[in-house]
Amino acid sequence: MRIKRNGYLTAGLILTGIIVLMIIIGMFWTPYSPLTMSAKEKLQAPSLRHLMGTDNFGRDIFSRVLKGAGTTLTIAAATILIGSVCGTIVGALTGYFGGVVDDVLMRFNDALTAFPSILLALLVISLVGPGNKYNVILALGIVFIPSYARITRTAFASLRDANYITSARLMGASNARILLVHLLPNTVRILLPALTIGFNNAVLAEASMSFLGIGVTPPDASLGYMLSEAQGMFAAAPWYSICSGLVIILLVFGVGLIGEGLQRGEREVE
Amino acid sequence: MKYAAKRILLLLITMILVSFLAFLAFEIVAGDPAQTMLGTEATPERLEAVRQELGLDRPFIVRYFSWLTGFFSGNLGVSYNYKQPVWQLIAPKVENTLWVCFISFILICIISIPLGIWSYNWTNKIWDFFRTAFNQLCMAVPPFFTGILLSWVFGIVLKFFMPGRFPDLHKDFAGALRHMFFAAVCLSIPRIAMTIRMMRSTVIGEMEKAYVRTAISRGNDRKGVLVGHVLKNSLVPVVTFLGQTMAEIIGGSIVVEQVFGIPGLGRFLVASISNRDYPVVQAIVVILAFWVVIAGTVADLVNQAIDPRLRLGGSK
Repeated sequence: MRIKRNGYLTAGLILTGIIVLMIIIGMFWTPYSPLTMSAKEKLQAPSLRHLMGTDNFGRDIFSRVLKGAGTTLTIAAATILIGSVCGTIVGALTGYFGGVVDDVLMRFNDALTAFPSILLALLVISLVGPGNKYNVILALGIVFIPSYARITRTAFASLRDANYITSARLMGASNARILLVHLLPNTVRILLPALTIGFNNAVLAEASMSFLGIGVTPPDASLGYMLSEAQGMFAAAPWYSICSGLVIILLVFGVGLIGEGLQRGEREVE
Repeated sequence: MKYAAKRILLLLITMILVSFLAFLAFEIVAGDPAQTMLGTEATPERLEAVRQELGLDRPFIVRYFSWLTGFFSGNLGVSYNYKQPVWQLIAPKVENTLWVCFISFILICIISIPLGIWSYNWTNKIWDFFRTAFNQLCMAVPPFFTGILLSWVFGIVLKFFMPGRFPDLHKDFAGALRHMFFAAVCLSIPRIAMTIRMMRSTVIGEMEKAYVRTAISRGNDRKGVLVGHVLKNSLVPVVTFLGQTMAEIIGGSIVVEQVFGIPGLGRFLVASISNRDYPVVQAIVVILAFWVVIAGTVADLVNQAIDPRLRLGGSK
């Protein structure tokens, strides 16, 4: 797959690269411990000592945001991994083989993709039990399967009868080989932009759920939970809300730019 | 008419499928409601008595259909937490959520459709870059973050409304509407950005078609063609998209109701999930899902009125 370099792609990659690098560093080292309280340094505005200020317990917000963003990033990555792998398998098999199973599964899929993802995620989380990181990943992962299944199904179904597939079949290639070697690489160009959109939806969905208090709860604080915590002290420490909100926005914005760049670069090559 | 009848039949089937799945899911996970209600006071005799009272001794399918008809007769069971009929608890909240969704839908339509057409003219490369980047930025803003900012600026500082103190819709309609307007704004921003983007790419795709070239070569000006011909032809995908937007608004309302303290369905849903109040969760999930499916059907019916080709069973 060839993609022409463009401004969107470059800007997105640089922005996302910086943020992800900081988050990864934050997973191993933060300037202060995100949980250490300090009565002397309560509610301080951003300064060189505390880059994003401190909250009402005197905890360093920069360290908390780094840790929280780490949780958000992990959950989003795990979610799209589950969603895209399972979705691709379902979509590939139904698209390639077709038949009754395909019809039934796709009607079912249509019903599911019509729903707002957050509502489905809430339904699943209320069944598996709220408040746990792995349950959030499970809930969101399941929710993201249908959309990937639909995208890959379309790609596989449209290429199924292409000439090069027919000739591969005539040469005696097995179904497994056709699916993996001949078809899968050709769906990457559709799958890549879908991954960026899915990643952003996962970040926003996780943040919303944690904001509502039914996603990740302490000690595993995520950015969404921190925002709900920050809402209560907005008048005293506005920097808490603004900084944790900005990190979500920048992360989603960066990946959104990459997605835009991928789509445009693809179009220009054609 | 035939198309409409078919579409409505499909709607009913989807509604039955959706409600069945929700019923089944809770049936598997929620365990025995009689046990949950009695808790530690459960003795085999009392359990049996409560089960009979709740009608749990009937077969699964019979219970499902009596629950489903409950959506029309208002009998949806009893909340574990409040010991009150679910319908009584939900009914006053439906209205609030409906208003929030309605206002944001109107906002999305009146802002993004004109802007979407207008943004077609921005072909300059540098402007296009900034426009697209700004668009992506708006899509990245989570509604609860704007909610925190707006409720501080317009609530605490400018005192347009009282954050967390939602006036009764029937007693202070204007006050409630003002409160909901800001919630709707937060909800709409990312969706407006998405609709503009979608609208723009549809218009661009349409402008490249042969009939546009013909119209222009016959002496019409570009603006006239854009408004007179292209707009109508771009509407079909946009209406479908707006139908999906309705679904996203309903999902998003769950979050903004929390930020602004609006006592709607979403807020109650979240509280009920934390309390494991399954009859309430089940009812709200299905009601919200019904709205989504109905919105999709309405979008299809509108499209069918706009584009006669769809009535002949053609697919687009």
